[in-house]
Amino acid sequence: MDFMVDRRDIEFILFEYLNIAKLLEFDKWRDFTLDDFKMTLGEAIKAAAGVLAPLNQSGDEEGAHWKDGKVTLPKGFKEAFQQYCAAGWLGMSSSMEWGGQGLPATLGLACSEPFISANNSLTMAPGLTRGAANLIEEFGNDEQKKTYLAKMLAGEWCGTMCLTEPQAGSAVGDTKTMATPAGDGKWKLVGTKNFITFGEHNLTENIVHLVLARTPNAPAGFQGISLFVVPKFWPNADGALGAFNDVKCSGIEHKMGIHASPTCTLNFGDENKCYGTLIGQERKGLIYMFKLMNEARVGVGLQGMSQASYAYQLALKYSKERVQGTHILAFKDANAPRVRIIEHPDVRRMLMDMKAYVEGSRALLMSTAFFLDMCTGSGDENWQMLVELLTPICKAYCSDVAFDVAELAIQVHGGYGYCAEYGVEQLARDIKIASIYEGTNGIQALDLVGRKLGAKGGMYLMAFLNLINTFCGKHSADPVLGGLVKDLEAAKNKLVEAAMNFAAKGVKNPLYPVSYATPFLEMFGEVTFAYLLIDMALVAQAKFDALCGEKGCADDAAKKKLRENHADAAYYHGKVQTARHFVKQTLPRVYAKAMAMASEDLSLLDIEL
Amino acid sequence: MNIVVLCKQVPDTESKIKLLGDNSNYDQEGIKWVLNVYDEYAVEEALKTREAGKAAKVTVLGLGPKRCEEALRTALAMGADDAIHVEDPALDGADAFAVAKALAGALKGVDYGVILCGKVAVDDDMGAVPQMLAELLGIAQVTVVSKVEIEGDTVKAYRDVEGGAKEIVQAKMPVLLAATKGLNEPRYASLPGIMKAKRKPLVKKTAADVGSSAAENKTKVAGWSLPAARLAGKVFKEGELADRVAQVVKLLREEAKAL
Repeated sequence: MDFMVDRRDIEFILFEYLNIAKLLEFDKWRDFTLDDFKMTLGEAIKAAAGVLAPLNQSGDEEGAHWKDGKVTLPKGFKEAFQQYCAAGWLGMSSSMEWGGQGLPATLGLACSEPFISANNSLTMAPGLTRGAANLIEEFGNDEQKKTYLAKMLAGEWCGTMCLTEPQAGSAVGDTKTMATPAGDGKWKLVGTKNFITFGEHNLTENIVHLVLARTPNAPAGFQGISLFVVPKFWPNADGALGAFNDVKCSGIEHKMGIHASPTCTLNFGDENKCYGTLIGQERKGLIYMFKLMNEARVGVGLQGMSQASYAYQLALKYSKERVQGTHILAFKDANAPRVRIIEHPDVRRMLMDMKAYVEGSRALLMSTAFFLDMCTGSGDENWQMLVELLTPICKAYCSDVAFDVAELAIQVHGGYGYCAEYGVEQLARDIKIASIYEGTNGIQALDLVGRKLGAKGGMYLMAFLNLINTFCGKHSADPVLGGLVKDLEAAKNKLVEAAMNFAAKGVKNPLYPVSYATPFLEMFGEVTFAYLLIDMALVAQAKFDALCGEKGCADDAAKKKLRENHADAAYYHGKVQTARHFVKQTLPRVYAKAMAMASEDLSLLDIEL
Repeated sequence: MNIVVLCKQVPDTESKIKLLGDNSNYDQEGIKWVLNVYDEYAVEEALKTREAGKAAKVTVLGLGPKRCEEALRTALAMGADDAIHVEDPALDGADAFAVAKALAGALKGVDYGVILCGKVAVDDDMGAVPQMLAELLGIAQVTVVSKVEIEGDTVKAYRDVEGGAKEIVQAKMPVLLAATKGLNEPRYASLPGIMKAKRKPLVKKTAADVGSSAAENKTKVAGWSLPAARLAGKVFKEGELADRVAQVVKLLREEAKAL
């Protein structure tokens, strides 16, 4: 199957919707131009299609293999990884001081999409390395930075994050791995971690593990956990590899998807010879790790969206090629011409649901990265509040709808979608993990309800509501989209009501908000998507009107003809219809959930299951 | 020894080509423009030659409207050293001859041992400019080249000929080589390469500078039309296999005239 990226939509969001040119006004990015950004995206798409995409299906079939502690990746992966790193993609938005390219996060995210669409498994290695390097840069000491950063950003050494243990998954506070002072600034580590992505492999000569561990006399739970840098091989002063550091891979998981991404069990200090250095201060490990995890959570939402976008485009293409049945209005005529399945309304329903989910996700993820850049560039912390609030939505809502998209893509393909050859079943398997790792989507809902809603006296939520309220105030009288804006405002009020109810009832019965956290997160996602889709539609409608003016298309017939013959006109009209479809077909789910929440029914807690 | 690479910007082969209402040309609106793929082979070969220490400098040369800068920047991002862009409305609609003459004019005073280019541009598929340019410059030419060996001022070029054979041509510099698929695997531009590209020199030349314009055209465009739509395939399901084969052969001979 052909590799496809929705470049038009990515460019619309970058250059027409978010207007990323704003970032060039900040000192940090003054040396870049919009042309650099366009060319960078173009090259990312080219490299994704040419280097990574050809290995996706073969990587899935072959999978990663473990033998005697060594993990071998599928054929071609090492070379593709090296090519990816040599071109500078690993550190595209990392600090230039250590060899990164210093691009804004928004562009980094936009350029990551094609690579992930092309080969999700392979991109996990650079993704984790980038995250681990960013953490070392922010919290590590000078020696740690000097030892690791340049090597990691060049892709010579990979990075991992080692949190999970068999008894400490979502409950990371139950970490048992122990670190004891060994003199000379080093700590001796003993313990077992599992589910470690790219914990062992043959891509690079060394692997830099970031390991959560408990120190002697540390209190139980979150407050007792520290973070360590534990290399697979100790680097000598000259950068060459020294002694093996007693980190062994005792096996890899056999999974539903991401077969080419090795999920490892790592034993630290089996022979009591594993050492690491402490990052920052003792017992602050989770604070540091959360920095990496927040980035990674947006990244997981991106994994969902990128693959969902590919699945949608495969389904769209198939629906335009596959001929089956007659038009529904001609169902009585056995000799009526056979039509492409895209002519069937129910197929169009699926395609529209997919389109709205994908474009809503892309807008949310890129906007979140843009808010982060605005914060970095301007130093205004208000942007950061939005990033914090939206992170669990990016992770959970985008990954959930991505799986829905993949499922619909299979459905559009019919029986062929259930067969490996068409690629969509692999996408569904590969996407599924996104709702599970990096904090399950249930944990994300608790993060939203338990942490983010009440953070800084509700300031995060206020920042978000200000955004929506200002938007609604400004556009509710729009001649084309005003009706949708009013729908958004009403749904947003339901969301606020639910949040207020959590606050009021939660004090007496904390199990009430906890039990409804997931539907609340979904409502939040639906309202956010509606806002973003309408906001984009406003931009698109203005562009469409301008095009019609330019081409002298005054009446509906002329405008329809323009859409049929002009790719941009069709695209802009498509944005408007996508917003309409989502607001009319999906946003009403907010009311069903609001009704369920208002019932305050908690029978799930009062039953012997 | 310096190398000049000819770079043409063409529609991405995935673009949907539509004609203008009066069939005077194809509609250029909404087209995604890229560096001609055969020119990418030429750029790659030039860079490899320079990296092997057999050339000092790689200059890319393009002709066309403002947007062609993107194609030249792509070549610079891949690693070329500098660029010459012939840009002038007087060259709009220039045919192969007028273009070859303009390129020859642009190369006046440029020191080169090898000119590399694609064997053909994938837009109009003419494959005429390389030959004409070599003639106008009075230098040797080898087309459809899939392998190049350079020793001193001697170039040995392997050209693909029919039947899968290779014809080996040896020439003294200066020589023009027109690349075909298989010559190499073009590299992707790196991120540092993209950032460096914008600081590399890009010299502009006008029609007057190069002494050519569309008025020099030797050909006239009568009109444009799209290829006929492909007919639906036929599947032979009925009857014995041998009969079916006979039917297919008969139709291939009589209808498709393929045999």
